[in-house]
Amino acid sequence: MTTPLELVRKKRTEAVGRIVSKGYLASARVYVGMATCEIAAGSKDVMAVFQKAMDEGLANVYLSQKGCAGRCNLEPTVEVIMTGKNPVKYGKVTPRRAEAIIERHIKNGQVIDEWVID
Amino acid sequence: MAAKYVITLCDGTKCINNGAHRVRAALDEQLRAHGLTDQVRINLSGCLGMCEKGPIMVVNPGYVIYGGLDESDVERIVTEHLVGGKLIGDLEVEQDHLYNRFYRIFGDVGFFGKQMRIALRNCGIINPENIDDYLSLRGYEALGKALTEMSPADIVAEVQRSGLRGRGGAGFPTGLKWKLTAAEKATPKYVICNADEGDPGAFMDRSAIEGDPHTVVEGMALGAYAVGAERGVVYIRAEYPLAIKRITKAIEDARAHGFLGERILGSDFNFDIEIRLGAGAFVCGEETALIHSIEGARGMPRPRPPYPSVQGLFGKPTLINNVETWANIPVIIMDGATWFSTVGTETSKGTKVFALAGKVVNTGLVEVPMGTTLREIIYDIGGGLPGGRKFKAVQTGGPSGGCLPERCLDTPIDYESLAKAGSIMGSGGMIVIDEDSCMVDIARFFLEFTQNESCGKCTPCREGTKRMLEILTRITEGKGRAGDIEKLQRLGETIKKASLCGLGQSAPNPVLSTIENFREEYEEHIEQGKCRAGACKALIRFEILQTCKGCGVCRKVCPVGAITGQAKHLHVIDQDKCVRCGLCFEKCKFDAIVKV
Repeated sequence: MTTPLELVRKKRTEAVGRIVSKGYLASARVYVGMATCEIAAGSKDVMAVFQKAMDEGLANVYLSQKGCAGRCNLEPTVEVIMTGKNPVKYGKVTPRRAEAIIERHIKNGQVIDEWVID
Repeated sequence: MAAKYVITLCDGTKCINNGAHRVRAALDEQLRAHGLTDQVRINLSGCLGMCEKGPIMVVNPGYVIYGGLDESDVERIVTEHLVGGKLIGDLEVEQDHLYNRFYRIFGDVGFFGKQMRIALRNCGIINPENIDDYLSLRGYEALGKALTEMSPADIVAEVQRSGLRGRGGAGFPTGLKWKLTAAEKATPKYVICNADEGDPGAFMDRSAIEGDPHTVVEGMALGAYAVGAERGVVYIRAEYPLAIKRITKAIEDARAHGFLGERILGSDFNFDIEIRLGAGAFVCGEETALIHSIEGARGMPRPRPPYPSVQGLFGKPTLINNVETWANIPVIIMDGATWFSTVGTETSKGTKVFALAGKVVNTGLVEVPMGTTLREIIYDIGGGLPGGRKFKAVQTGGPSGGCLPERCLDTPIDYESLAKAGSIMGSGGMIVIDEDSCMVDIARFFLEFTQNESCGKCTPCREGTKRMLEILTRITEGKGRAGDIEKLQRLGETIKKASLCGLGQSAPNPVLSTIENFREEYEEHIEQGKCRAGACKALIRFEILQTCKGCGVCRKVCPVGAITGQAKHLHVIDQDKCVRCGLCFEKCKFDAIVKV
């Protein structure tokens, strides 16, 4: 008989499989902060920019929302994790900045230092 | 210069046996040799649970875990990773998503370097609306472990051993509460999650639920199993729509996966959760008032005992804990009480979440180990006060807490130390106050809040806070009388002693603590009609100096038309019309307007 613990571990393996099948292993993972505070600061518009770029053909990107990490005065925040590179977190991201992040960072691997939270 | 990297070294027994201390010495030496000592902050941690790969080193930003290290590896890490910015693949430990005890730090090591995330471990990491994300970080494994290997009594004992205390504010030992509820014979029993967050400026519970709702669900399921309850209620305020949406989805998803409902994970344990919305009354955060509200009655407290553990919801034994308390439970079950009790101080174990706000550079949500000092939170994590302003006080505990002056900055955060300093832990509000704020006005603000929120059931709270507010208001209007301070103190002490519930018992705290620490400001208001911060409107006025160029900006911005004057001529403020909003003072480009 399967114990509850074995069952949870099986579910975890399945969950990881589902996440991977949704493109988690893409060369870039992008997380947009979507808690009440982030949304109030304008993160829905930022999310829409990334979504639109992907709908229009931006490939090999895994896009997800996330909760509040605590950087209230720098919201909306966007995290970009490229394979083999240190993760980068941008603060005060506007739709225009999001477009620049797509063009310069995600497509060309060039980190935009002036917007990085340090 | 702020640290660019935070390196965490595992200081568990196994890692030490494998040479962790030699690694530490080699690291210190290498950092000195490369002149990096002040750019790298070194933290030690308890056992990280990767003993077979020790010694373990975690480098942030990046959450890169290196294992099996010796002195020559340290040299490579410093030259290739810290200096060269390249990750060293062959030293990396495959992260098996064990407990995310260490927050994945991105660029902001100054902010996250001193933090430790237990309750908020997944906040800002996972997609809160996707149960797969939670499962992939070993979500619901604590529940699986409990149902497989532990009896309800084992869980109660584990929580007791962890030393966890209630995060809602009062700090009652959580394990004892569980034990008392488990010992009751009456059925059915209930568990409640108190998500009725009401302190002005506090948003810990909202963020926790919005960022990681499944943790709360799993914590409640564990609590229900431990005390023998089959039904749970999340009581959350209706003004948190996104949090409600996410916890609702989390409950539905958990049910669909068999983590809630009947015969959970194939065991004999049945449990389900429903959501009740609160209308936003502050008093409903008090447990007996909250229970009345769920029952459909008016949200008013009742005398205790009997405590909810004996007679709670619908008169049955009820286990009620705060959001943050519940969020700690899966970690205690997974990582063990022994590990959990290594974090924090003698009497206060684990971490505490604070909503850092007010006059501080980095406002935000922080989680720090108990024992961290106020100074570390405000200056190291919060980045100090903006524009080099001077620190005046820090307010902790919201409307139930107190204001601590500069000499208390080295107070470590734990229930006893904060109480000794004259404030309370509370649910986690922390507001930094600078020289521009008047302490009498701040005390008045908080008392106005509690006075409005007083339910009116008991006289000391209903009448006493009203009288105190009248006195405070007249002081801020420059009409204070001799003896007002003593009257406030006498009233405050009486209200604290005689009120029915925590709301009244703590309402005078902001007033009493500001009198204790900033008495001279009260005296100036009363005796000289002076507000040194220039915040009490009745005690200040604005005047235009002879240096006025007559540009007319002040005349245009004045909302009440109190300023007159012709272009290029001296303007004048009509003091009878002026409402002292200060807009002219802010807008004048020639510094020709003064506040006196």
